[in-house]
Amino acid sequence: MLDERIKRELRAIVGEENFSDSLIDMISYSYDAMGSKGKPDCAVWVESAEQISEILKIANREGFPVTPRAAGTGICGMAVPVRGGLVMDVMKMNKVLEISVEDRVAVVQPGLVYADLQKKLAPLGFTLPTEPGSSIASTIGGNVATNAGGLRGAKYGVTKDYVLGLKVVLPDGRIMRTGTRTMKTSSGYDLTHLFVGAEGTLGVVTEIILKIHPLPQATTTAMGLFDSLEEAGRAVSQVMSSGVIPSVMEVMGRHLLEAINQNTNLNLPVVETMLLVETDGYTQAEADAQMTKVIEIFEKNNSFEVKWAKTAKERDDLWTARKSTYPVSARINNNIIVEDVTVPMSKLPDLFRGFEEIIDKYSLVVAMCAHAGDGNFHPLVAYDARDPEEVERVERAMDELFHLAIGLGGTLTGEHGIGLIKAGYMSLEHDPVALDLMRTLKKTIDPNNILNPGKMALEA
Amino acid sequence: MEAKYDFERKYRDQVLRCSSCGFCQAHCPIYGLTLRPALNARGKMLVLKEVMDGTIELNDELVETLFQCTTCANCSTNCPSGVEVPEIIKQVRQDMVNLGTCHPAFTAMADVLARHPNIYAEDDKPDFGRPLNRKAEYVYFIGCVGAYREEDSTEETLSLLDHLKLDYTLIDEVCCSGVLEDVGHKINPGLVNKNVELILATGAKTVVTGCPYCFRTFNNKREYEALAQAGVKVIHLTQLLQDYDFGVRTDKLVTYHDPCDLGRHSGIYEEPRRTIGKIAPNFVELNHNRAEAMCCGAGGGVRGAYPTNSIAMARRRLEEVEASRAEVLLTECNSCVHNLANAKLRKHKFQVFTTTQFINRLLEESA
Repeated sequence: MLDERIKRELRAIVGEENFSDSLIDMISYSYDAMGSKGKPDCAVWVESAEQISEILKIANREGFPVTPRAAGTGICGMAVPVRGGLVMDVMKMNKVLEISVEDRVAVVQPGLVYADLQKKLAPLGFTLPTEPGSSIASTIGGNVATNAGGLRGAKYGVTKDYVLGLKVVLPDGRIMRTGTRTMKTSSGYDLTHLFVGAEGTLGVVTEIILKIHPLPQATTTAMGLFDSLEEAGRAVSQVMSSGVIPSVMEVMGRHLLEAINQNTNLNLPVVETMLLVETDGYTQAEADAQMTKVIEIFEKNNSFEVKWAKTAKERDDLWTARKSTYPVSARINNNIIVEDVTVPMSKLPDLFRGFEEIIDKYSLVVAMCAHAGDGNFHPLVAYDARDPEEVERVERAMDELFHLAIGLGGTLTGEHGIGLIKAGYMSLEHDPVALDLMRTLKKTIDPNNILNPGKMALEA
Repeated sequence: MEAKYDFERKYRDQVLRCSSCGFCQAHCPIYGLTLRPALNARGKMLVLKEVMDGTIELNDELVETLFQCTTCANCSTNCPSGVEVPEIIKQVRQDMVNLGTCHPAFTAMADVLARHPNIYAEDDKPDFGRPLNRKAEYVYFIGCVGAYREEDSTEETLSLLDHLKLDYTLIDEVCCSGVLEDVGHKINPGLVNKNVELILATGAKTVVTGCPYCFRTFNNKREYEALAQAGVKVIHLTQLLQDYDFGVRTDKLVTYHDPCDLGRHSGIYEEPRRTIGKIAPNFVELNHNRAEAMCCGAGGGVRGAYPTNSIAMARRRLEEVEASRAEVLLTECNSCVHNLANAKLRKHKFQVFTTTQFINRLLEESA
């Protein structure tokens, strides 16, 4: 518990209006999109690296936990203050500090919402192409903390591929700059990327130098229908090894298509598997040529219907269908888990088949979806958290899914992070020496374990 | 566990359906202003989950979040899980009032409407010099804000109705009292009956409201069913005006603010745009428009209970107007006009009018 003396010190740093220990704030700060596990003692809204530095010095001196937080849209429990203490909300640090098209960089603060950056970049003909599914609400800081990705990962990569440099406040209060604003560097250890995906366990990021990318000039969209997930999986593998890299390639399964039809007027064909593909390029001819190749491969793999969207409405309908995945799945039952294990692309059919067996075994309702182009599986498991028996079945199924994915040479998480919910599985994926080095790094940088403790199995 | 409160009995599944995704932060005007997640729709649902779990009580500590909601429905319109937040909030407020817990401003509003015929406790009736309580084809129902705070706007609206030679009458109207249900109290039957009697006595088959909130109350509240039963239709002014040609136009760059009560709550987006299209060919949409429109900050009792935040929300909307470079901001709600005009700064060079007020000015200028 933080006593009144410490709270007074915190108030003096951030100002009365940026401090709270009221019940309503403590409830909202006990959650992120994963859920809740324990309330903090108080919260501050920080506005500068200097304030953060002062606060972390006090936390080190007094030994209380600090959980950095931005929009709280993460689904791995990264922002949940599992040990209590202080929640440090960075949402007031939400400025675009600089956009330089000449240098192809944008410098932003961590509380900047992804969509707000896109609104500034688009008129300049540029983008940050990572676009996570939560882009309307999630922040660049949160994206950096989880190394977030999105639909366009196969072609454009994930957040780390666009982070050139950072300003970070270390747990002892020292303020550090890493990286450069150049397109490349071979200078020294790559400290920047140590902090990307570190989930706020090593430092609080206060500035991010991003590489920005030109907006594609032309795109085209098509879908292919398949009788089985396996055939679709083969088609995906062949597309990805054909020399064409689609900007988007999504798998959507039967339950999902049914759920979309129940909630929209799109009248999608209800089949075992739909693949939704977008190609892009500098010219329409370039995008179309790639799509021609993709469709050839679909047909070779027994796609019984291929539809190339020729009008804006046809294209928009397909994207509306994909974008409604989460909303319609969220309405299947009271609660939903979105998984994100990722496997080598050639193993996707094995993952699909294996997970279908798991679903059957535990009698679960799952809307199947995946960013197939980068092997990122996104089953949406609909369940009722009020039913303890069903919750247990879901937990067991997830446990088996993690083992399956790791057994196929995959990873626990493609883009959501480890946080709390997957911390128990870190040793399943990581080499014991590598895990030991992660813990050593944590101890070296944060010897008193004040920053976001309890996450990523860094203490065991 | 047996439900303790009505909100739980009616909306338990809805509250649990909130998946805590936090996407409502992109839409909630109070979160956008304060960046305080406790005030966002998700924060409200999390508090209610704890109440349902029995870990906390519905008490004064929760007033700040549960009574600080403009009920603008931007969250529910965009909620992936379809949680009807404004309906839940209204029910929780009633539960809290039943327990004797309420924001003092809302208690005051209920007290005022128990003793006075309008929300401003004004006892002097406004005199617009127009026929009152007579037989006519239409009743024009002004609403409290138009009658007592935006009198100029109302005067100009009435001038426009005169110009259009509409056969209308005013009545000795009293507050529709719908707002009481939004702030945890019960609609006032005395006020309802007076309005219904006065409307029916005119023989009018159509009531035209200037206020989108009165429009919703007359059409949606059970207490006003007598109107529909007597074959009286209630429309908003914008639905009437869309059929007229005014013969005037402006070259100024004009934009439009969708009031929450008319837009998200009533689905009326195109009618005002049709009318504006006739008089202002030089039109620009605000960045957030139609179902995505930002709230002016006045609704749900927030203007009275949290005036500083209410004005600050209006100012955020005005920033969008400024960014659009529009010279004129039109809207269809006197309450929005009132809040937006109050929030306007010297640097904001655009003018704020209701559409009818603006058309009337164009007519007067051309005469």
